Amino acid sequence: MTMPTPRERIIVIGGGIQGCAAACFLAKRGQQVTLIEKDHIGRHASGVNAGGVRRLGRDPCEIPLSLAAMDIWTSLDDEIGGHADAFHPCFYLKVALDEAGHALGLARVDSLRQAGFRHEVWLEDSDIRSRLPHLSGRTFGGILVEGDGWAVPWRIVQGFARAAVRHGATLVEDCRVLDLKRDGEGWQVNSSKGTFAADQVVNCAGAWAAALARRAGEPALPLSPHAPMLAVTDRRPPILPAVMGVLGHTLSLKQLDTGQFVIGGGVRARADLDKNRGEVAIPELASSMRLATTLFADIASTQIIRCWSGIEGYMPDNLPVIGRGRQPGLVHGFGFSAHGFQLGPAVGEALADLVMGRQPRVSLEAFDPRRFESAA
Amino acid sequence: MTAGSHYDLVIIGAGPAGMAAGIEASRGGLRVLILDDQPAPGGQVYRHISQNAVRREAVPYLGGDYWSGQALADAFAASSAELWSESRVWQITGDRQVFLSRHGAAQSVSAGAILIATGAMERPMPVRGWTLPGVMSVGAAQTMLKTAGSGADGAVFAGSGPLFYLTIWQYLQAGFAVRAVIDTAPAKMTLAQYWLALPALLQPGLLLKGLRWRAAIRRKTDYFVQATSVAITGEEQVTGLSFTDAGGKRQTIPAEHLFIHQGVVPNVSLTMASDLAHRWCSRQLCWHPRTDLFGESSVAGIFVAGDGMGIAGAAAAVSSGRLAARRIIARARGIALPMAPVWRLLKWRQAAIRPFLDSLFRPPDEWRVPQDDKAIVCRCEALTKADVAAAIALGVSGPNQLKGYCRAGMGRCQGRMCSLTIQKMIHDHGGQPEDKVGHLRIRPPIRPLTVGELAALANDDANA
Repeated sequence: MTMPTPRERIIVIGGGIQGCAAACFLAKRGQQVTLIEKDHIGRHASGVNAGGVRRLGRDPCEIPLSLAAMDIWTSLDDEIGGHADAFHPCFYLKVALDEAGHALGLARVDSLRQAGFRHEVWLEDSDIRSRLPHLSGRTFGGILVEGDGWAVPWRIVQGFARAAVRHGATLVEDCRVLDLKRDGEGWQVNSSKGTFAADQVVNCAGAWAAALARRAGEPALPLSPHAPMLAVTDRRPPILPAVMGVLGHTLSLKQLDTGQFVIGGGVRARADLDKNRGEVAIPELASSMRLATTLFADIASTQIIRCWSGIEGYMPDNLPVIGRGRQPGLVHGFGFSAHGFQLGPAVGEALADLVMGRQPRVSLEAFDPRRFESAA
Repeated sequence: MTAGSHYDLVIIGAGPAGMAAGIEASRGGLRVLILDDQPAPGGQVYRHISQNAVRREAVPYLGGDYWSGQALADAFAASSAELWSESRVWQITGDRQVFLSRHGAAQSVSAGAILIATGAMERPMPVRGWTLPGVMSVGAAQTMLKTAGSGADGAVFAGSGPLFYLTIWQYLQAGFAVRAVIDTAPAKMTLAQYWLALPALLQPGLLLKGLRWRAAIRRKTDYFVQATSVAITGEEQVTGLSFTDAGGKRQTIPAEHLFIHQGVVPNVSLTMASDLAHRWCSRQLCWHPRTDLFGESSVAGIFVAGDGMGIAGAAAAVSSGRLAARRIIARARGIALPMAPVWRLLKWRQAAIRPFLDSLFRPPDEWRVPQDDKAIVCRCEALTKADVAAAIALGVSGPNQLKGYCRAGMGRCQGRMCSLTIQKMIHDHGGQPEDKVGHLRIRPPIRPLTVGELAALANDDANA
């Protein structure tokens, strides 16, 4: 922040939360940003995910990034104005439904404490039941994070996109990148809407990012596309003021202010990159439904009114790729493996730092794209 | 998850197309299952036919076309096709698994081939006041007549289309008084329509029947034609209807019961949710699944028959059901299917009157998009035309992006009631052709499915 940075032409590819947040921070810092999206903003995983804004249950090396993101979430109004009301902080609770879950949870809280993190705390069943009087059966305790919550994903993504535009970025939707090649000191991006020149390129293309990196001359990255799946029910009186999960399971359960329950978590529908959509396979949600009815028997009679999925890119170690590529002027931010929504604001900031040669707030070492090269 | 039983052919919908296919395929030696959401087979057109047949004298007003379905229903009952009534199919997958709810639990069956014969639904009619108590669709009025013999004395009918006239005629035959009939079909027939009328002469019986209905209606009701600027009045309950008549005079008709109708469109919920390719039919102003001559869709092994592939009426539905069944039998047996051109000709012959009817009863724009800003467009989310228009003005690339902007189409009807209206509004705003605007993505479950029913699938798994 000491020297004035030169104004560079930056192309951000991918209008998901990472790309929109990156474009927002870069434009805010005076860069000349073009955000290219092949469909429309938030079309895939970013716009249609469960909207969980959680620090709970993160891989330890992701926690500093997640905590940094939470700082931005709580002051979201400063970043995206008008859309910040889409974030609903409450509390996140991951309960144990058996002895195994109980042991798993206690060990988790303990190990985090030893690593110096105190945001996850253990709650006994009685405390859980006083917070959630509508719970049907007893639990074996659970992990609580106060202040975690949920957001309306597409509105947050829209918010970052609009903020980027307000700061001077150009948004180009329905624009598919066909090719990407070095051009002198910079890049030439050929797209379905013409050719763009850039000094640097930020690759936030989600499930399509590895193919894009390959075109840019990067080593192969082991990304696989899947489509996490969700279901929403009809409206019921409010009984659940928190976001819930179950230890040892992939359930995610919340109740929106409309009274609708959103049930999902971890289940992967088939992703069809060519057809640009995920095939919803409802029966795969059956075990999540059973867990939801175990927690709240009343949910059994609600009607599922819609199921959907969004295509997301997964890495083998379930950690994202955030860092500079082998090629000069290329920065990657993808592979969030279905838990990147909460990280988004901090990732956007970190990507902006990488592009501008600044030291990011938190270490990105664990997310280095090169970590797969040695493994191979 | 445990795999359900396997059938050579699973048919969804026991209307004329489904029953005909079931009869044909079981005769051909296939193991056939028909899934139908009603208590008894018949579909919409032959609804309740077996129950009505035993008291035929009590319900003479249903007419000869209706009773012509009885032979089909009898043949179906006598066939070896298995029927599961009150079964709600909520998803089929590309690998031909059929998921359904029945007796309060979800289950699945697998199929060698699937035939979707889910018929037609009434085109939604979003005019101001269409959601008021006392306003019903003409199809709903006819359903009450068929199932319970009940009707409303002194009702007013507004709209157009073959079903509109048939139902009014049935109402009159049943002895109910009809206060007024307001036909909204546009003014005069054009020259093109006269040309289209030529093949319709191959079906003189149908033409004469239409003229007979019209004459009866003219005789027994206050009959208005070429009505425009129709507005439904009332605050808590419908109180009447106002419109501009053919002479340009504003008319007001009081009504406690108002039945409205603007034709029928294929019910594409299941075909769209199953990811079959569709094409926009500019003649019928609705989406049709893309199929080959035999009704096979863009997904191999999934067929469509009947009005669900394009509105052509009950007789053509029977032919298309049989044709699909023959193709499925031939494929299962590994034999060639002769006579295809004959079938095609027959199908065309049975629907010869369609282009004429489609043109005559083409819904005017004012019934496709409300004129009044306060008219409800999306019933589930209670969004008015103004609400949806404001979201469209933000600049959307299509109906699916619009969902994110204003929730239109995100309610429990999955856009069945607003999809065509939204599409037209986006078309009117941006000018791109309607087929390019596209339709709402329909996501399963397309029929009601409770969390508990779906949870039962996991329990089965655990016990397996």
